Amino acid sequence: MSQDDLTGISYQQAIKSYRTAAERPLPPAEIDNKKLLNSFHPDYIEECLTTLKVGTNNGDPCHKELAEVLQSDSRINEADLAGAATVETDVLVIGGGGAGCAAALIAQQQGAKVILATKLRLGDSNTVMAEGGIQASINKDDSPQFHYNDTLSAGHQQSDPDLVSQLVLDGPDVIRWLIQHGMQFDMDEFGDLLTRRAGGTSADRICFYRDYTGLEMMRVLRESVHNSNIDVWDYSPTVELLGDDQGGCSGAVISSLKHRKYIQISAKAVIVATGGIGRMHLNGFPTSNHFGATGDGLVLAYRMGAKLRDLDSFQYHPTGLAYPFHLAGSLITEGVRSCGTYLLNGNGERFVDELSTRDIVAAAIIRECREGRGIVTEDGHQGVWLDTPGLEARQPGILQQRFPKLMHLGEKAEINPTKTPLLIYPTLHYQNGGVVINEDCETSIPGLFCTGEVTGGIHGRNRLMGNALLEIISFGRKAGTAAAKRRKGKRSSQLSIEHLNKLRRELTNAEISLDLQGPILFPEYAKFDLDSDYVGLHRNRKQSA
Amino acid sequence: MSDAQTKVQVTINGKQIHVPSTLSVIQALWNAGYPRVQGVGCLEGVCGSCRVLVRRVDTDEISMEMGCQTLVEEGMEVMFLVFPSPSQHSYSLEQIPNSWEVQAEFHKIFPEAQQCRSCHGCTTSCPKDIDVEKGVELAVKGRFKEAGDLFIECVMCDLCMTGCPEQIAPNHVGLFARRVTAYFHARPSNLINRLEKIRTGALQVIKETP
Repeated sequence: MSQDDLTGISYQQAIKSYRTAAERPLPPAEIDNKKLLNSFHPDYIEECLTTLKVGTNNGDPCHKELAEVLQSDSRINEADLAGAATVETDVLVIGGGGAGCAAALIAQQQGAKVILATKLRLGDSNTVMAEGGIQASINKDDSPQFHYNDTLSAGHQQSDPDLVSQLVLDGPDVIRWLIQHGMQFDMDEFGDLLTRRAGGTSADRICFYRDYTGLEMMRVLRESVHNSNIDVWDYSPTVELLGDDQGGCSGAVISSLKHRKYIQISAKAVIVATGGIGRMHLNGFPTSNHFGATGDGLVLAYRMGAKLRDLDSFQYHPTGLAYPFHLAGSLITEGVRSCGTYLLNGNGERFVDELSTRDIVAAAIIRECREGRGIVTEDGHQGVWLDTPGLEARQPGILQQRFPKLMHLGEKAEINPTKTPLLIYPTLHYQNGGVVINEDCETSIPGLFCTGEVTGGIHGRNRLMGNALLEIISFGRKAGTAAAKRRKGKRSSQLSIEHLNKLRRELTNAEISLDLQGPILFPEYAKFDLDSDYVGLHRNRKQSA
Repeated sequence: MSDAQTKVQVTINGKQIHVPSTLSVIQALWNAGYPRVQGVGCLEGVCGSCRVLVRRVDTDEISMEMGCQTLVEEGMEVMFLVFPSPSQHSYSLEQIPNSWEVQAEFHKIFPEAQQCRSCHGCTTSCPKDIDVEKGVELAVKGRFKEAGDLFIECVMCDLCMTGCPEQIAPNHVGLFARRVTAYFHARPSNLINRLEKIRTGALQVIKETP
């Protein structure tokens, strides 16, 4: 994405020639979706891929930047743990988003003693930012089977059928559970749930609360957790998992940013719910993700020996805001497209069926820009129009009524979306793959559970809108139940980082440099590793130039 | 970034920095080379983490804002706030026996709410322009649906808690009002119908073999 060779129509020029029109013709159908993806989707750019050289997935394709952290050295060694206090619990949940909260609430309800450790604050997560909604087949012209078929089809038939089947059958009960925690949904005059349609699906299946579905979900779950006996450790990123002598997981090492020291947690079950990787900014893309989405859980689980999958498959959400700069990457919900908003190139023409799956729409936008039909801003960004004025012309008042967050974004950007189209470009949004799990969120490592975006298999190679919010609650609850069962088992007396010695041997044998230390915890631009406040946590860190 | 870009001089946490005018307060700190981890969250204005005090040039007024959503301006002074300790109020929805008892339970859980002295501290400190005080007043009267609807855009930044001399925790009052509304009154027939069909096995999934 070199910015020197951006060609296209200037923002000023495109704004001047833009005219609001209620109707515009649909472009001819994509002749060859496969070719479109191969030519323009970032997953398919060969220079971005490599092959893993160490670990369970040795030989598998992986995104280069992700491979670097998966094959990085640990942040700690034995010396860091000398004198570190040890705290005991039944279940340790790592991550304070929707999946982590759901898992913790259920595990605690089942009688387990639970610690929830999160890198920032409870609720600081991608969940809180999810706008579109949550899928559950509840309409009479819809069924779990249709939901299943749509999910597999969108994922290019690469999903795990058992996981998807469990997911879709659990959908309605997830909505009930959320309502029982006090979450509101938009309803019609009779009190029935309203639904809208996600791109690439066969029925209206998205339940939602305005364009604040994730915010509404997260503040309710956060309140539930704070009002429970769950012990919440905030500002406590996990730097390593601990192993026992049976090849199982027996806890984790937390770096407390408040106390500026390492603490060991001994647990009978560990649930990793750390979310995605957007803040790794793969391929230099902006991201819609939370500040903490740096792929920590993938690195931790991989070092313990857990199997991963689809490490070369990511979702670029088609409608990230591209202008103005200080808001770039901010997401505009797919709900806006699913209401029928057009996408227009710099010539004011539609160029893709806007309700195609996310990967197709993203690839089509990149194609328009690369072939010179995009819109280029003065500060070197590019994009296409999201034609909100056209939608408003067809359905006056809809933007204010259904999309308050979008209107609020418009205010901050000093653009009125009812009058002026928004410049958008794909933004790195979601990690499709991740840790391999079964229906109970068990990994191949005894005692180690994973749930939410850190896992792979549900979405195949492309995720449908609304399936992530469903997944985190559905599988979060499963993980909580399964992990709580282990509370009656024996506690491992061993808390070891022996697996790191194996890692270092393998890295050395594969001639991989040990200079990079992972997980990276925070994006490079936050300069955590140079922050003198945390000197005690950096003792063993190598300073990069 | 071209050199022609307009730059501004701002003071953030006592540090004088010179940065492009297109940056948010957080981006400005990073741009100037200062580490910043605590208080950073979603960077989209919905998580309520990056609470800042802002004073703009030519005014004595101090406003409370979200750092990721605040664009730097010439002469602006910014101070990051530490996060307050969580609300002392604790309750579970299950403790409310039925919807007739909500108002009584509310006053047990939030006894300070009726002490509101209408100082507007909460409303003034809200970065989302919510009429927080009105929300508390409505909740005290038991008008929970109305109260809750005022808090639709609340990001739980707790600035209204900071601004309240009576320690009412107005945002938690608002969230309570929202939660009881869903907990007691949301009974969607389309959802209930579908749950029943799944429970009885009338709807199942036939897995394809991939």
